[in-house]
Amino acid sequence: MVQLASDTWYLFNKYMRITLRMPMWALFTIVQPLIWLLIFGQLFKNMASMPGFPQGRYMDFFLPGAVIMTVLFGTSWSGVSLLREINYGTVEKMLVTPVSRVSIVMSRVIHSAVTVIIQCIIILIVALIFGASVAGFKGALLSLIVVFLLSIGFSGISNGLAIWLKREEPLVVIGNMMTLPLMFLSSAMVPKSFMPEWIQVITKINPIDYAVETTRAFYSGGVSSETVFTGFVFLFLFASVSVSWATEMFVNQSE
Amino acid sequence: MIKTDKLTKIYSSGTKAVDNLNIHVKEGEIFGFLGPNGAGKSTAIKILTTLTRPTSGQAWVNGHNVLTEPVKVRCSIGYVAQETGIDYFLSGRENLVLQGRLYRMDGKSISRRVDELLELFDLKENADQLVSTYSGGMRRKLDIATSLMHDPKILFLDEPTLGLDPHSRASLWDYIRMLNRDMNVTIFLTTHYLDEADKLSHRIGILHKGNLKIVDTPEALKDSIRGDSVNLALTGGFKEKAISALKGNPMVKELLCEDSHVRVYVNNGSEAVPGLMKLLNGHGIEVSSLTVSRPSLDDVYLKYSGVSFKEGESSEGSNPWWAQWQKKGWGKKWKGGEDSNQDSQEGGQQEWGKEWGNGDKQWEGSEDKGDKVQESGDKGWGNWSPEEMKAWWSQGKKEEAETTANQLLTKADENPHPHPPINTSGASFNPLPEGEEISLPFKGRDRVGMGFSNEPKKGEWEMEQDDKQEVTADKDKEDIKDKENKEEENIEEPWKKWQGTPEAAEWWAKQVKKEG
Repeated sequence: MVQLASDTWYLFNKYMRITLRMPMWALFTIVQPLIWLLIFGQLFKNMASMPGFPQGRYMDFFLPGAVIMTVLFGTSWSGVSLLREINYGTVEKMLVTPVSRVSIVMSRVIHSAVTVIIQCIIILIVALIFGASVAGFKGALLSLIVVFLLSIGFSGISNGLAIWLKREEPLVVIGNMMTLPLMFLSSAMVPKSFMPEWIQVITKINPIDYAVETTRAFYSGGVSSETVFTGFVFLFLFASVSVSWATEMFVNQSE
Repeated sequence: MIKTDKLTKIYSSGTKAVDNLNIHVKEGEIFGFLGPNGAGKSTAIKILTTLTRPTSGQAWVNGHNVLTEPVKVRCSIGYVAQETGIDYFLSGRENLVLQGRLYRMDGKSISRRVDELLELFDLKENADQLVSTYSGGMRRKLDIATSLMHDPKILFLDEPTLGLDPHSRASLWDYIRMLNRDMNVTIFLTTHYLDEADKLSHRIGILHKGNLKIVDTPEALKDSIRGDSVNLALTGGFKEKAISALKGNPMVKELLCEDSHVRVYVNNGSEAVPGLMKLLNGHGIEVSSLTVSRPSLDDVYLKYSGVSFKEGESSEGSNPWWAQWQKKGWGKKWKGGEDSNQDSQEGGQQEWGKEWGNGDKQWEGSEDKGDKVQESGDKGWGNWSPEEMKAWWSQGKKEEAETTANQLLTKADENPHPHPPINTSGASFNPLPEGEEISLPFKGRDRVGMGFSNEPKKGEWEMEQDDKQEVTADKDKEDIKDKENKEEENIEEPWKKWQGTPEAAEWWAKQVKKEG
């Protein structure tokens, strides 16, 4: 267990170092959330004036959605870099060392969760500058736990798919197919009351919806303990199942 | 150090990558594992490095069983894969430190070992630069350094010099020798470069279709090939004509085929050339070039695998890419596309024809009827499958060995025209070295029997790179060996009896006159 933790830590360290050495990554981490907020904020602005819209301003409604979108787009590519590492022989090089196999997957998913958290913090700061209202520092911090769990879940799926599909192209296609519809089938952009009934049913099993709802609850300050509790339980389950699956795939494949 | 017992690996696609493999590598040696792409080298190495599990059989590395004690095996070996697995966006030092961490070394011994290795591999100056700025040779060196972090007893090198320029190759060879000699690291090396196996290894194992054909020292392997090879370059249709013309000839001991070349094994290369040329000309066959060579590892390889390197590669290339994909183990199986690119680059343009054209079909078809070898003579030689060639070759070998033996016995009496010293290292006959004054026909007896040296002029020589020098040195050595051999067999060489006789003097006088 101690070894698993230390192996994971050193590998995580490596991935973080590599990420932080990409100047373009740092640049787009700042630019991308701005684009989400700007485009979607403007696009759906008038929706707020429709009868039955839950919040006063669309920006306030959309901010949790933008955060979760960042999670999706930031993590569903995690598997691509795993494939690249496999092709470059980096994974093989790790596998001939006694390093724990589980730690290779763990360090990857934790790395992508941490990078996404950095992005989300930037979004929050930018959104506050734009005048969004976030009720309380504590709520903002707690929402980062949601971000962490969802990131781990999706990056686990992406890594598992990468090992299963073995090629980048299908991974990208499936990644897109998975993230965009799931987002539209959640209340990230449109309030639930505006949705047809069948979509509302789907949202019940959509982890993205749970993440958005929980985050929204934290930001709006009206923390309903029930939403938060079910959200956390569901996301925790989602993250554990997906990471276990990815680890299983990886360990099986590497033997 | 390494021992395997009936090691077999069958992939889920049904491909037998390793077939009943028994290897025994001794402590402190450099063991060269030789074979074309797809022979199973990489699969074997992956089993030994615990990267993949064998379907059946057992393997022990440094006394630990790869199946039951994988972690102990991992701790005692270093592995340098075909792909440099180092991280390009970390510095050289960071790569080394990370590797030490993955081997769970403590910080103190890591920093000591990192300095040691940077010094050893001459990477100190670039230690803190990103690996992406390194040259190919430096990356390889760093890759090897990282695999030595934990001071392994055995180092596995999977085609370590692939894609390196000649200079980097030569310097890498020096490092490998040094590791073996000074640090007492047992080295298990796979390669498909014959010269590499020849120069580096103490012993060579030739792998073909997952099975070890033979294991011996490079010298013994080369000695096992009797006779010289005459390599004929033939264009297009001439090749098949030449084969049918040469096939029944008593002079020809063995006949092997490579792309556009035909290799003819004869007792004495230079002696056979005039006869061969006459024969081929008689059939209206044009030879675009001709070389005579002493046995090399290439010949050994041809002998034991029954297929030349290029043929072996193209047979892999002719499989559809998904089959290649399935055939390979972890890591390799991820990039079937890349691999087939590499093959076709190496094999030249014909490979594409085989891969996409109907050559593909013929190839597969011919493998099924391997027993109909006899009839296959009229089939295009290029379409022969490795099995067919092998079968044909081994059949011919037996008969021809008998004829050659008979011939040898009668040769001395039969040969009415003894001939002057033969140049064994090149095809062209040059009775005296350049610039040598002719005074006496048999001035230097010691020159008799050894090839006149074709050493390049001083200027050229100096311009060549290190490894070229090595080649020349090796050739000299061979020439000396050659000379010794000839002197031992003095009686068997009719012209040696002849020299010093009045006829000989007369002959030489004529030659001198002709030369002007």
